[in-house]
Amino acid sequence: MQRILYLVQKEFRQIFRDRSMIAALFFVPFIQLVILGNAITTDVTNLDLIVTDLDRTPMSRTFIERFTTTEYFNLVEVEEDYQALRGHLDNGRAKLAIVIPKHFQRDIVTGRHPDVQALVDGIDGNSAGVALGYMARIAEQHQAQIIRMDPMLGRPLREARIVHAEPRYWFNPELESEVYIIPGIVALILLIITVFLTSMGIVREKEIGTLEQLLVTPIRSMQLILGKVIPFSILGFVEIVVAMGFIYVIFGIGVEGSLWLLFGESAIFILTTLGVGIFISTISETQQQALFVGWFFMIFAILLSGFFIPIANMPDVIQYLTYFNPLRYFMVILREIYLKGTPLHYLLPETLAMAGFGVAVFSAAVMRYRRIIK
Amino acid sequence: MRRRLMAIIRKEFIHIFRDWRTLLIIILMPILMIVLYGYAITLDMRNIVFGVIDDARTPDSRALVDAFAENGFFRTLPRDVRRNEMESLFMRRDVHMVLVIPEDFSADLTQNRSAVVQLIIDASDSNVGTFVGNYAEQVLGIYNQRMNHAVPALFEIAPRIFYNPDMNSTNFFVPGLVALILMLISALLTSIAITREKETGTMEQILVSPVHAREIVLGKVLPYVLLGLVNAALILLSAWILFDVPVRGSLALLGLLSLVYVFVALSFGLMISTVARTQLIAMFGTLMATILPTIMLSGFIFPIASMPELLRWIANVLPATYFLIIIRAIMLKGVGIAELWPQALILSGIGTLLLTAATRRFRMRLE
Repeated sequence: MQRILYLVQKEFRQIFRDRSMIAALFFVPFIQLVILGNAITTDVTNLDLIVTDLDRTPMSRTFIERFTTTEYFNLVEVEEDYQALRGHLDNGRAKLAIVIPKHFQRDIVTGRHPDVQALVDGIDGNSAGVALGYMARIAEQHQAQIIRMDPMLGRPLREARIVHAEPRYWFNPELESEVYIIPGIVALILLIITVFLTSMGIVREKEIGTLEQLLVTPIRSMQLILGKVIPFSILGFVEIVVAMGFIYVIFGIGVEGSLWLLFGESAIFILTTLGVGIFISTISETQQQALFVGWFFMIFAILLSGFFIPIANMPDVIQYLTYFNPLRYFMVILREIYLKGTPLHYLLPETLAMAGFGVAVFSAAVMRYRRIIK
Repeated sequence: MRRRLMAIIRKEFIHIFRDWRTLLIIILMPILMIVLYGYAITLDMRNIVFGVIDDARTPDSRALVDAFAENGFFRTLPRDVRRNEMESLFMRRDVHMVLVIPEDFSADLTQNRSAVVQLIIDASDSNVGTFVGNYAEQVLGIYNQRMNHAVPALFEIAPRIFYNPDMNSTNFFVPGLVALILMLISALLTSIAITREKETGTMEQILVSPVHAREIVLGKVLPYVLLGLVNAALILLSAWILFDVPVRGSLALLGLLSLVYVFVALSFGLMISTVARTQLIAMFGTLMATILPTIMLSGFIFPIASMPELLRWIANVLPATYFLIIIRAIMLKGVGIAELWPQALILSGIGTLLLTAATRRFRMRLE
């Protein structure tokens, strides 16, 4: 017992000896939290737009005004030359160009149903689709206005039967992305820090040769492992508590569900990440290798966790792969507890899967580690 | 100078090839990444499960439910939903949306020419919530059009989609992945190049030799430029073979500008390397500075124009932002240097700046 305590003490001393380590552990992740919490939104606003008005009538001008007064579009320029539009899309000055044809107003009044041309940069398919939706809505509004001014024009339209939608967004009525993303970032930070600290902390002793010194002391291998595992789990916990407090203070996002449940689940998750960390250390000789292997694991864990790409969107084969990803479960659990206050019995499948994975990885890693140092 | 530089380069190469595990990861990882990410990243939602509370039970209301069900995006929950079980349905994540059709739906439609239905959407993931809402609006639009096909609009919008007419998300993401992977790998490679020598004590040996700071820095970057280029070629090749993403512009120009980009990423890693004291710190720093910002702020997934102003400023100093514009333009638009020189110039500027800073910083350390 005494020996383990000494090892824990040594480990903490080693971590905190370096000031920049404290920055790396607490300062940098939280800055990222603040910055990235605001970044993730697939809302599309400020689309760069160029307009060519070949009609120049009151009707065409009010139509263009509708585009400039929304936050969705950002009018870059009014281009006289229809031929030049393609060039503006080519060099990226605009994502979208609208051409109002000659005799736009006259054709509407005489009932000839003119076409307004829209040239769209389709590379970002999602943004392009949303932009088309905005345009359709603006066209609808414009049409309604024309009809209001001249009811005769819209006579056939009044025969239409229209169903409107009234959307209600539950659990997040303002559709703020922070509420969803930020608990996710907490999971990422926890993953990154525990995996790297453990794997590199252990390999470092191998690389600079202090492991041999430890091995000739009377410390037993299990004590050696506990001496690594205990400080890193404590650190992981401190990290998560500090992060939660920070989120509450800065973003005003609190935990909807049970705090104890959240801590319990975090403990299971930390068991998993420590296991992964130890395992990585057993297959690496140098810190560089440990880094690359750990990074390799993490890049895929993050992608396949549903953090920014919903898992339901992925092809089936890849969805099966995600079942082997502990982060996938923790991501769901964390968000459900944070946002909906979901109780444990709805989260049981995820919890069991994560726990099973954690115990398996951890014991395999420890066994491998003991074999190696013998 | 030439000979000393060559000696450092040769030494660095020996380092690279001796550690075959790392080398294997560096070569394999990009290919694996492009395969998995290429298939997994898509913003197209499918199989949105929705429940129905139909209080009207008229032909109109059934037609509306059918309009949702037969659309590719939505799938009906095979049973009726009761009002009091909605919350638990959302908590179990069985449905994304519940469509509530009021009792007087059909009466409203005939008398007032309009009716309102409620869409209750699980918005805990705001992006998914937004998507579901948008898709539902689209379905309603189709339904309205179908009911009123005899009534033409006053004017129509006729869209023409350029570069990616099917609005295929693979074409959007794969070039972005090239930019992402190159950044991550290159920066990590050099980030420990100098720290390792410091930590293992070999730096002192180099310092007492007649090699200049500039030679050390250059000798550390050049071998990795080669490695980075090999990586770039592998990634582009797999993208082309697996995903059929076209390269419409000049391959030579793409190669040249990738070289510039790799050089920027390597210089960034080296810059960190001169600052950090241990390998652990160097790697943490590089990871934190590359992974998340590059994924989220460079326009890789989320459009920069939609971000708050502060984030747009940060996006404007990220090298990946410029390379993303370049690579998407060359591959999909097929444009050349005439359109892309501003981005190319900025990239070279950032690279030069970083390398100069790294050399300066390194020299300061020596004295």
